Amino acid sequence: MGANELLSVKQLSVKLHNNVILSDTHLTLNFGDILGLVGPSGCGKTTLLNTIAGFNTPSTGELNIKRNNSNSANLVVQENVLTITPFSHVEPQHRNIGMIFQDYALFPHLSVEKNICFGINKLPKSEQKSRMTDLLHLLKLTGLEARFPHQLSGGQQQRVAIARALAPQPTLLLLDEPFSNIDARLRNELMLEMRQILKQLKMSAIFVTHSKDEVFTFADKIAVMHKGSILQIGSPAEVCQSPNSWQVADFLQLGSWIPVKAINGQFQSAVGELPSTEDIDLEENTVKYKEYSPKLQLLLKSQAIEYYEGGFEKNNVQVDNISITEHGFHYLLSSIDRDLSLSFEQLSFYSNFLLTLGQRIAIKIKIHDYQVFDSYDDILG
Amino acid sequence: MQKITSIRKNLFLIFAGFIFISSSLQANDEVNVYSYRQAFLVKPLFDIFTEKTGIKVNVIFAKKGMAERLAREGKYSPADILLTTDISRLIELHDRDLLQAYSSKTLLDVIPRQYRATDNTWYALTTRVRNIYSAKRLGAIDINYEDLADTKYKGRICTRSGKHSYNIALVASMIAAHGEADTLTWLEKFKLNLARKPQGNDRGQVQAIHQNLCDIALGNSYYFGKMLVDEKQKLWADSVYINFPNQNNRGAHVNISGMGMAKYAPNNENAKALMEFLVSKDAQKLYAETNMEYPVRTDVMPSNLVASWGDFKADSLSLESIAKYRKEALKLIDKAKFDL
Amino acid sequence: MLFASLGSSSDLFSHLWQTVLPVYISNTLVLGVLVVFLSLVFGTFSAAFIVHTNVFGKKFLRWLLLLPLAMPAYLVAYLYTDMFDYAGPIQRTLRGWFDWQSPSDYWFFDIRTLPGAGIVISLVLFPYVYMLTRTALEQQDQNLLRAGRLLGLSATKSFLSVALPLARPAIAISASLVLMETLADFATVNYFAVNTLTTAVYDTWLGYDDLATANALASILMLLILFVVVAEQRARAGQNHQSNRPNQHIEIIKLSLFQQLFISGFCWILVLAGFLLPFALLVIMAVEYSNMAQLTNLVSPGLNSIEVSFYAATIVTFFALLLGLYHRLSIDKWRILPSSLVGIGYAVPGTVLAMALLASFGPLDHFINDIARTLQFKEPGLVLSGTIFAVVFAFVVRFSAIANGTISSGIKQIPHSVDLAPASLGVGVGQMLKKVHLPILRPSIFVAWLLVFVESMKELSAVLLLRPFNFDTLSIQIYQLISDEMLEQGALSAILIVLLGLLPIIWLNRSKELS
Repeated sequence: MGANELLSVKQLSVKLHNNVILSDTHLTLNFGDILGLVGPSGCGKTTLLNTIAGFNTPSTGELNIKRNNSNSANLVVQENVLTITPFSHVEPQHRNIGMIFQDYALFPHLSVEKNICFGINKLPKSEQKSRMTDLLHLLKLTGLEARFPHQLSGGQQQRVAIARALAPQPTLLLLDEPFSNIDARLRNELMLEMRQILKQLKMSAIFVTHSKDEVFTFADKIAVMHKGSILQIGSPAEVCQSPNSWQVADFLQLGSWIPVKAINGQFQSAVGELPSTEDIDLEENTVKYKEYSPKLQLLLKSQAIEYYEGGFEKNNVQVDNISITEHGFHYLLSSIDRDLSLSFEQLSFYSNFLLTLGQRIAIKIKIHDYQVFDSYDDILG
Repeated sequence: MQKITSIRKNLFLIFAGFIFISSSLQANDEVNVYSYRQAFLVKPLFDIFTEKTGIKVNVIFAKKGMAERLAREGKYSPADILLTTDISRLIELHDRDLLQAYSSKTLLDVIPRQYRATDNTWYALTTRVRNIYSAKRLGAIDINYEDLADTKYKGRICTRSGKHSYNIALVASMIAAHGEADTLTWLEKFKLNLARKPQGNDRGQVQAIHQNLCDIALGNSYYFGKMLVDEKQKLWADSVYINFPNQNNRGAHVNISGMGMAKYAPNNENAKALMEFLVSKDAQKLYAETNMEYPVRTDVMPSNLVASWGDFKADSLSLESIAKYRKEALKLIDKAKFDL
Repeated sequence: MLFASLGSSSDLFSHLWQTVLPVYISNTLVLGVLVVFLSLVFGTFSAAFIVHTNVFGKKFLRWLLLLPLAMPAYLVAYLYTDMFDYAGPIQRTLRGWFDWQSPSDYWFFDIRTLPGAGIVISLVLFPYVYMLTRTALEQQDQNLLRAGRLLGLSATKSFLSVALPLARPAIAISASLVLMETLADFATVNYFAVNTLTTAVYDTWLGYDDLATANALASILMLLILFVVVAEQRARAGQNHQSNRPNQHIEIIKLSLFQQLFISGFCWILVLAGFLLPFALLVIMAVEYSNMAQLTNLVSPGLNSIEVSFYAATIVTFFALLLGLYHRLSIDKWRILPSSLVGIGYAVPGTVLAMALLASFGPLDHFINDIARTLQFKEPGLVLSGTIFAVVFAFVVRFSAIANGTISSGIKQIPHSVDLAPASLGVGVGQMLKKVHLPILRPSIFVAWLLVFVESMKELSAVLLLRPFNFDTLSIQIYQLISDEMLEQGALSAILIVLLGLLPIIWLNRSKELS
């Protein structure tokens, strides 16, 4: 385990009620990082979180968690590695992990004060008091100590949950869909605020979400999950620029898809052959992507589409939908010739040109670093 | 809305059904009996009555609240005859003015004066003695109720609740004989002699003697007979003697089972017929035999088993004059905290 | 009844007060506290172990622990006092083995005491606590317990400081049910020779012929019960935190082998003592004593029992449904009142209720007859108090609380948006109830019906006093035989009642499994 690593997950698989929920999962987390686990519902991200927290036991594999043994306020880490395998379970309460649940799980029978002090009630009263005061201040909850959870707004409840989880000074904070219950308008603001707090405390955190917006705003690193395993881990920029699979790009909605065929070292699409240059070795690409696969898809970002006045005979797409965004007009285009196996729909195209609904236009694909995926395979080698 | 009307219709039908059922009860060849005695104990007798006269007998049995029901029903009560298992219930019915007098010559002739009401509202059917059972291991003894307070029986006496009507009647007879103050002292000393808190029923006391928990117990005569004919309980009964107390003075305390005619008896004639029937020789014989009691008619012999316990002298004081101390008796039992 | 009590004689009251009443009152309180305490110990412990640990045989114990509900308390009381009495088979055998001669030779607990009564009554009533606590624990938001774990508590501690406090409202409701049953039960304490306030009610009524004072005493008892009911509703107010996310995985606390054996033993003892043993005794009696004649004797009382119980269950369920829906859909601020009032009926002892009904139906019957006469019709007789109408009415009053509870909790589980959705689709209230609420409520309705049916089959004192001529029910048959020390002859009827009582338990369990 590297010096900088707080958590490493190796070859983890988890079965619940005889269903394999996670298989062969690998993951590492460095100190101070915020990792976003993202993926469609049912992909196993909450199970991974629960396994790290200690609510599920692995059926194979190993988890290593460094634990902060000291209770001092500045989170100095004493090296103390917990190893969890199918044969050595460590109880949740000994992992020094904090968790914020989707519905916050505040104790309804306890006041805000008692909720926050729940995990530190063995400390001296004065210490409890000072930690609580700090947290109340940090999370702007001062004055609400005596309230009960049902007397708080959703945002306040979430902050109490955060304060409660932070009070025992965990090494790692787990957040299960932390923003799903928050008003959409407030969500972004709150995410930034929380990120700031976590960074201020140098807190490491893993959070689960199914929203790509949340993961890009909140996370330092993201891990995209699909059907019980992690497809890709990296910084948001890395993942965004070079997704390693069709599923990753598709889930994160990194662009539109148009089908392509690889013929003689060239890619063919409904809007013509993809232009090639010497810089881009198409030949290698076509071999890599199984020349005859019927399900090759090109990830096409709007900026790679060029609109040109080609004249009537060259019009190859028509405008199906128009909406207005802060970036100008957003058009959804479809290929005119629907019979071809390469025809496509719903191609996103942002532009300042004014087009009308049903209008037939001509587009070209600009030369760029093409990202072609085989949507037939689950994971690409 | 349609549903509601159909529900209403159904309710109406149910209601109409009730009326039909209840009016069918008013038919003429019937007589209705409110019984404190369990139905199956009187049924054989009623079957004979029905056979003889063609009059159907309907019975409800209840131990508690029968008088209350009768009073509430008032003049629309279907009740013709009341059957009770002890004197206190008869007195209660009489005091609440729920009975009517029936001065039949037959009844007056065969039932001794001390076992019927002076105003002819109720009559005894059978008598039973409040006996004292003693363990055979003590040998034959001669005992009075007064001896229950004797310190030589300390921790050796068993009884059912002091507030059971049989015991209340016994205490009332003690008041009649000795006055309230002496009876209270007697009760207090009696209580000190108890082997255990008053509990169970009369059979249970005999069982307790059999098990050597105590030597002396209070119990009605007929239970002894019933135990002797029960396979399991015969063993218990065989370990005790049945004693008739106070044979050298005022005589043993006797309680009765009895009958009276309801004040608003709708089937008046049938009721009279039933009452007459119940004191007929045959009925007396059968009724006394099924219940192991003494027939109230002196000219009818009890069953052989009951007769085998020998003749005895009964307290000659009229039951009416004993029963008037009933409430005082209960108060004294409370005062002595006999059951606690 | 309250009116009647106004005329009570103060003489008798002061006599009672000076002699036995203080002891009766203290007995009543001690018995109530004892039964509630023991039921809580039995019920919450077993529920906690069944839900949260890997105790042996929990799959079976889970529903076996409900079985004592099927046993009428008076039956168990009779069987146990008979068995553990000095003259009973247990002590006889012991004396036989050790050659003891008299009570002074050895010590054996006395079953006919307050503690004896407390234990036996608790054995029959604890399943109320078990059932409600178990349901509460199973429906709790498991994330709350997980939060406790991550804040440094062991699974056990997390259960104690989170799950248990959260189950408090359910536990409080069940405790008040147990208390009401205990205070209302005349027959059972009688077998134990324990004198309670109810004894005083009977004494004054039957011994002193003073119904007014009896009513006054009964009113004290009812005030006591009313107090409990109100306190319980207060305790519940504002505490509603069942999870709306069912089927969460519940963390199981792993017990050591010894602990598993010990706790499994504890639960088995409860099942054994509360159900299996008394039931086995009944079966033995039935085998030894029964014959064809008894079987045929069973038919008519059995049909009678089923008839009145059927009417009662149907009417009670119907009214409970009306009340529940009224409570849900009405905006009247007093809408809570009817269902609260109805709840009190459960706490009224059967005999007291019967007296009150006689007092109200009697005059009503007279009124009907008087009218009939003035209209020149044939007098209908006692159409109310002299028919099974009175019996059914008594059941309705007494058991409404059970059906109300079941149905209103079913109604609570329907989201409020469902009330609004049909209107948005242009469907009227009547259609909405018929097409939406009733189908959703069907399981609750069925359970309520069954529970009332079984309780009615068991009920004794009210039927005894209110039934019409030649009308025996199974419970009355048993009672008659018991009061003559001949339960052996009635064992078959008793078994029939118990078996019928098992029906709703099996059904409840089955519907739980399905959901």
